Amino acid sequence: MSDYEFDAIVIGSGVSGGWAAKELTEKGMKVLMLDRGRMVEHSADYPYEGTGPWEQPYRGQTPPALVESDYYASRYGGAAQTAVKGFMNNDRLNPYAFKDGPEFRWVRPGTVGGKSLTWGRVSLRFGPQDFEANGKDGHGNDWPVRYEDIAPWYSYVESYAGISGQKEGLWQLPDGEFQPPHPMNVAETWTKERLEKAMPGRKLIHTRCANMTEDKPEQGRSRCQSRSQCNRGCSFGAYFSTQAVTLPAARATNNLTLLADQVVTSLEYDPKTKRVTGVRTIDANSHAAHTYRSRIVFLCASTMASNQILLNSKLEGSDKSFADSSGTLGRYVMDHAMLTTFSGNLPEGTYSDLIEYGRKPTGVYIPRFRNLKGQDADADFLRGYGCQGGGHRGVSGAVGFGASMKEGLRTYGAWSIGFNVFGECLPYIDNTVTLHPTKVDRFGVPQALFNVTFRENERKMMADGARQGEAMMKAAGLVNVWSEEKPHIPGDAIHEMGGACMGRDPRTSVTNSWNQLHEAHNVFVTDGSAMASTSCVNPSLTFMAFTARAADQAVKLVKAGAI
Amino acid sequence: MAHDHDHRFDRRHFLTGILAMVGGVAVAPIARAMQAGMDPGYIPATPYMTDDQRALTAAVSERIIPTTDTPGAIAAEVPAFIEMMLSEWYWQGERDMVMSGLSAIDAAAQKSHGKPFAAVTPEQQDAILTLAQAQTLSGAPADSFEHLRQLVIFGYYSSEIGCTVERVYLPVPGRYDGAYPYSEVNRVFAS
Repeated sequence: MSDYEFDAIVIGSGVSGGWAAKELTEKGMKVLMLDRGRMVEHSADYPYEGTGPWEQPYRGQTPPALVESDYYASRYGGAAQTAVKGFMNNDRLNPYAFKDGPEFRWVRPGTVGGKSLTWGRVSLRFGPQDFEANGKDGHGNDWPVRYEDIAPWYSYVESYAGISGQKEGLWQLPDGEFQPPHPMNVAETWTKERLEKAMPGRKLIHTRCANMTEDKPEQGRSRCQSRSQCNRGCSFGAYFSTQAVTLPAARATNNLTLLADQVVTSLEYDPKTKRVTGVRTIDANSHAAHTYRSRIVFLCASTMASNQILLNSKLEGSDKSFADSSGTLGRYVMDHAMLTTFSGNLPEGTYSDLIEYGRKPTGVYIPRFRNLKGQDADADFLRGYGCQGGGHRGVSGAVGFGASMKEGLRTYGAWSIGFNVFGECLPYIDNTVTLHPTKVDRFGVPQALFNVTFRENERKMMADGARQGEAMMKAAGLVNVWSEEKPHIPGDAIHEMGGACMGRDPRTSVTNSWNQLHEAHNVFVTDGSAMASTSCVNPSLTFMAFTARAADQAVKLVKAGAI
Repeated sequence: MAHDHDHRFDRRHFLTGILAMVGGVAVAPIARAMQAGMDPGYIPATPYMTDDQRALTAAVSERIIPTTDTPGAIAAEVPAFIEMMLSEWYWQGERDMVMSGLSAIDAAAQKSHGKPFAAVTPEQQDAILTLAQAQTLSGAPADSFEHLRQLVIFGYYSSEIGCTVERVYLPVPGRYDGAYPYSEVNRVFAS
């Protein structure tokens, strides 16, 4: 298709990179996929899959001293668990400037597959209101796309990835292409019936998630076995990951070259042609430098890493990134606020004869109900939030010691249900990621420095979530209703977005409606960095949809000779 | 269908079945469980305790989770687990707190009965641990017994015996049922 060694280079192999590699190779392009992490092969490199706690070092709990020294950020993504640690970034070896600026938890993976191996798998569509919010309330840039532009691509990726859920007909949370949902337990159905009756308009639905309930034999994948140990890796391929889904598809084309341990440091740019002409790498083991060349580049390194690479790609003789003609590169950094929780118990004796068999890999969801048809009269904040949770019946508390305690631990306590509130964070132009002026990592790349804070709107929204949450639990008839709000620290939700935001105007945005850099149309930025706002729903499915859409467009443009 | 397998074929019942088949001479942890006395057995890679401290830890662990119709803490190698965690996992402050709590328990036995804790009767041991739990034991740091108790509980229920003999272990449940009768198992599923 071209005179280059590769038609396309995909930087990163997580949710977005995997999709880019699959789509581009299936459309006939010779693709080089680069990842800074070590190789993890499906199944063969899941060492703790199916092991009991007694078979894991320290019964599965990473020693705290090691967590503190090496996993101070990735602990919030699961690195405190032995079985997950190996998929996470070592923050000592690969640091960011975490002690400078307000606290930001940059949770990074450390392997090929990226966070697709360890993600929460919640797969929800942005709704029409999400793509209109910036334009309506004036925060951030108006999205250059609307729900209708993305909807077919949601369907496309959902069908292939295998998303379980139930159609509900809610306009703010559009239905998708679903396999049957994982069944609710009795605490969830009990609460759903009573909540929806007591508070019309509120819905408690199955969480839509990338754990399959039907086999996909054509992909060599089986349905979920209810182990709920997903983040150790799943040889059944029951949940969406690069290893189980997109990498096998890309490899099957024979058009893919995958190189692990390749740290992309910057992009080589030709201002005369306004093209990126090379991808500069350092081998993580040998530290050898190389520049790979291709006609087009998909930048899918993860939101903050893609920002870091772009920021480090300077115009010759300048301190400024070639991609930053607008002055907005690294701005509008967002994450969901998510440390408001609420819960309650079913009244004593309710379903006391029933327990859970198996471990459900997902739960239930209360879709956004605030500020839907314009601003609610009693809401002192813009936009809204959704509540993710689940019902559960835990073991009775340990009372005393000895035979009576042991016997007591053979019984279960009350059924309970609890939720986390996930709130949309407004795009603020002064929430930034920049390059630290002096600190570099072991590859000589300036460390990422975050100056990101949640503001009054997020705080008021989270307080409302606690109030509304308690009200919903009480209305449903739950007892021991309780809510708590912990400090919301950006990065915690691991839903970081923005920095290379989409917009119509190259003077105010970094990427266009097809995820292309305004300053280099042969570069497509399709991870979270191009997102112009966050919605309140988990974003990975949206990254998949944008990536597939951009790949389709990229191939059309290449074939037309436009890029 | 393989994934629709009945719960009765879970791991715990599998082990029990093996036991029945081989006439009680079973897999190592079960055999150890049956033979376990007060010998704490296994010594961790990075030894931390003296032999006396090991005997004390074993005796306290076994009173917190005794052998009943299922194996207790010693059979589940909880004492060795505690030593390993103290030596390799814990921060110094927590380690010292737990060790001081253990010392206070031993001192109480010496004071009341003139013998180490490991050498007094189970009834005398329980009386001392009752004082420890009520935080009325002289010289025991606040919450040291609770810390120790939680360590025993964690060590036991994360052990192979705890998961597969005391509890019901489902490595591959194959399905989820959120309305499953407790009477089908009369036990807790290991998580």
